[in-house]
Formats: sequence, structure tokens, C-alpha cells
Amino acid sequence: MEHGDINVVYSVEHQLPLVMYIGQYFFFTGLSAGSFVISVIATLLGRKEFKPIGKITAVLAPALLIIAPINLIADLEQPLRFWHLFLYYNWTSPITYGSFLLTAYPVMGIIYAVMVYTNRQTPAKILGILGIPLAVSVHGYTGFILALAKARSLWNTAAMPTIFLVSAMVSGIGLVVIIAAIRWKWFDKDATEEQRAGDKKLILQLAQFMAYTLMLDLFLIFSDILVLLTAHSDAYEAGLLILTGNFAPLFVGVELILGALIPMILVLGPTRKSMTAVVVASILVNIGVYAMRYVMVIGGQTVPLS
Amino acid sequence: MAHKRYAMVIDIRRCIGCHACSVACKAEMAVPLEVNATWLKIVEKGVYPDARRFFLPRTCNNCEDAICARNCPTKATYKRDDGIVAVDQHRCIGCKYCIASCPYDVRYINPLKNIVQKCYFCSHRVDAGLVPACVETCPTRAIVFGDRNDPRSEISQVLAANATNVLKAEMQTGPQVFYISADESTMSNVEEEINYYTEPTLIKLRF
Ligand code: SF4
Ligand code: SF4
Repeated sequence: MEHGDINVVYSVEHQLPLVMYIGQYFFFTGLSAGSFVISVIATLLGRKEFKPIGKITAVLAPALLIIAPINLIADLEQPLRFWHLFLYYNWTSPITYGSFLLTAYPVMGIIYAVMVYTNRQTPAKILGILGIPLAVSVHGYTGFILALAKARSLWNTAAMPTIFLVSAMVSGIGLVVIIAAIRWKWFDKDATEEQRAGDKKLILQLAQFMAYTLMLDLFLIFSDILVLLTAHSDAYEAGLLILTGNFAPLFVGVELILGALIPMILVLGPTRKSMTAVVVASILVNIGVYAMRYVMVIGGQTVPLS
Repeated sequence: MAHKRYAMVIDIRRCIGCHACSVACKAEMAVPLEVNATWLKIVEKGVYPDARRFFLPRTCNNCEDAICARNCPTKATYKRDDGIVAVDQHRCIGCKYCIASCPYDVRYINPLKNIVQKCYFCSHRVDAGLVPACVETCPTRAIVFGDRNDPRSEISQVLAANATNVLKAEMQTGPQVFYISADESTMSNVEEEINYYTEPTLIKLRF
């Protein structure tokens, strides 16, 4: 008798609990945290040529973080009961941390933006330094949401929060590059030639920073997959699913090749002085990070549990 | 008096695969179409004439250290003193994080009420001194239900006298549904694993 003659005749699988609303939410908080960090770096360095970028990102961060939780509430089966999160909190649940972080962070972000726009340097710097841990935790906790749902082997790894933070930086810088480039192209006409050259140099530098962060991201993903493939059967199954299974086109094709390798070549290769190449790379990076959220959230729930 | 600790033992040697437990559960708990709180997993092994079906009644394990209760942000899912893991229908916001966290795929969204439900060991019947509907209905008496903290209860005696197993013990949730003589093929969730030593393929990256 062959060993392989085993058929599952009947079993029940329930619908996927978390849909792409959650992935989208991860994407938006990531963008927000990434742009906040860039903004604070610009404010702290205090150099004049960093000012415009510091201002753009100071608005982006709270704006994106007001959009993000809309996804969360839309995902609830009982959206009108969202206030239960604050009234009946549970300190062992990462979602509880999230609800408070998601309230505190935009408030702080708005105050910070006001400080930046009214040119009050010292309070902006202090708020920025205080805000970085908040921005990191508002996105880092989303990694814990996945990592602490122990049923899903694709999520339940110690690398998850760090992967989320690093990919947030990548997509956040990408967005800043895109917006700064738009400003440079169309809204920066009355600046002198010299200023424009300086702005361009800054955008190109940002893009290079993005490429280096991408390398760190790729290393984290590599180590995560390697461990998945050598761990227990569920983890192995999850690793195969994204490497060679149904999610391979998205993971290998979009996330790794289109969203990481090609942008890295565009930004660090012979086209590194071209504004178009840098903007294309930033768009691709954001597509790649969005695909990563999809692969993680949906792919993670695809390995059968029963 | 010490707390009760309700648990279930399912003796697969007695199970004839009649689905009576699933039907009783559907009726008792008014489980809507498309979802199931209790079901029977069926696996066929072998080639005719050396073939057999193996059964595994599946339900919420009402875990000792329930990850669903730990991760529920509103404490809508909570552990009762008697060990039953319950869901407060009026508090659940339907974030579905508990479904994502449970390693056993036993929670579902009730499409009529838009909240999360699962098996609660028929807590309303247990509170009234009855046994759960599936236990009552099982024609071969394959399911034993009772208080594990009472050494004289039937379940304590069955647990003491038989080799038992739980699903995915490695998940550290302390499942309270025990199986006697359950087959590996029914307990495993990863099908490929079963065919593992038939034909090695290129992508078998086991090192
Ligand atoms: S089986 Fe799942 S739903 Fe039931 S108590 Fe355990 S973790 Fe919770
Ligand atoms: S869906 Fe309901 S029971 Fe489940 S974690 Fe969310 S609030 Fe708790």
C-alpha cells in the first residue's frame, strides 16, 4: 500500500477573518510612521534646505494616520461598538495598546505640525524626539498584532514587528520622495537655480537612503523565510505558499522583484542622477510594500488549520 | 469548594461517523447555514479493499490558556470560573482577532448577528444541570463530559484509565477536549505532511 493514499473527505474551514482592510491599515500607518521619522530628522538637523521636506512630512504623518483607522472600523462586524475598545480594554491584547496609541499619535502629530509651521524650533524638536517612540510603537504594534496571533505560522515570528517597521520606513521615504519631487517639478518655480539644484540633491539622497533601508528589509525577509522553511510543518507550509505556491507571483514577483530589486537598481545604478528614475522607484517600492501587506495578512491565513 | 473544570473526552473507537453531534449542535445553538460550531472531520486511508475511514469530531477546546480570550481587546471572550470560554454577544465588536488567533479554526462570524461565536460546551444546559447537546445525542456514547476537578466524575475516571491526546498540544493553549485513539491523519492540518516520504520533489527544502 502506498503511503500517500489519504484523502480528507470532509472538514470545515471558516472564512478568512481578516481581510484587506487590515492590510491597508497597516500600509497607511506604515506610511505615516515613516514620514514622521523623516520629518523629525529634518527638524533636528535644522538645516535650511531640509525645511520644505520637514513641513510636507509633518502634515502627511497625522493626515495618513487619520485615514488609517477608518479601515479598522470598516472591518468591524459591529462598527458602532468601536467605543468598547476604550471602555472594556484588555491589557493582554495588542489591539488594546493599538487603540490608545492610535488616539495619542495623531494628536501629537497635529501639535507637532503646528509647531513646525509656525517656526517654533525648540518645541518642535522636543515634540519630535518624544514623538519618535510613539510613531515607532504605533506602527510596531501592528507587527505584534500579527506576531501574537499564534495560530498563524507566517505571522508568529519574532522578526514580524521589525519587518513591519523597516518596510514602513521604506514606503514612508518612498512617499516623501514622490511628494517632494512633485513639489520640485511644479511648485518650486520661483526658487533660484542654486536652490533647485540643492533640492534635487536632497531628493536623490533620500532615495538612496530608501534603497539602503530596502536592503535591510530584504535581509530580514530572507532570514524570516529561511527559518520558516526549516521550522515545524505549518511554518514550512507557509514558507512554500509564498515562495512557490499561490502567493508566489505576489511575493516573489511584485514584492521582491518589482518592489525591491528593480527600485534598488534604479536608485543605485546608472540612472541614480535621474529624477524620473527615482520617482518610478519610489512608486514601485510602495506597490511592493502594499503587496507585502497583502501577502502577510491574506497569505498568513491561507494555511489550513483543521 | 474548588472550582469546577469542565472538559470533554471523545472516544474515537466508539465513533461511527453519524454526524449526530454536528446536527444536535446546529439545532441547539441555532448555528446558521455556512458555519459550524461542531463538525466531523472524515479522512479515508488506504486502497480498496484495505481501506478505512477515520473520524474526528471537532469543536472548540475551551482551552485552559485560551489565546482567543487573551487577545480579545474588549474581554468579550472570557473564561468562566468553571473553565468554559464564553463570548459576550453584546460586547463583541467583531474585530475577528480571536478567529485569527485560535489555532483550531473553530470560531466563526454569525452572519445573522454579526458577532463571533463558537462552542461554549452548551453553557446554558450545563448551568441547568444537563450535559451538552452533542453528548446527550451521541448514539454510541462516544463523548464524555464532566468536571475534571471531581475525581469521582466519569470523565476523571476515563481520563485516568486511557491514553488520551489533544489537538496541537504545541500551541500551549491547554485544550480541554481530549481524544482517545484519534488517528494522526485526522489530527494533522497539513495534508502534504502525510505524503511526505512518498516522492521527494525539488522544493522539499528540509535540511
Ligand atoms: S479552541 Fe480556540 S476558540 Fe476555543 S478556547 Fe481554544 S483558542 Fe479559544
Ligand atoms: S471578534 Fe469579538 S470576541 Fe473576538 S476578539 Fe473581537 S471583540 Fe473579542
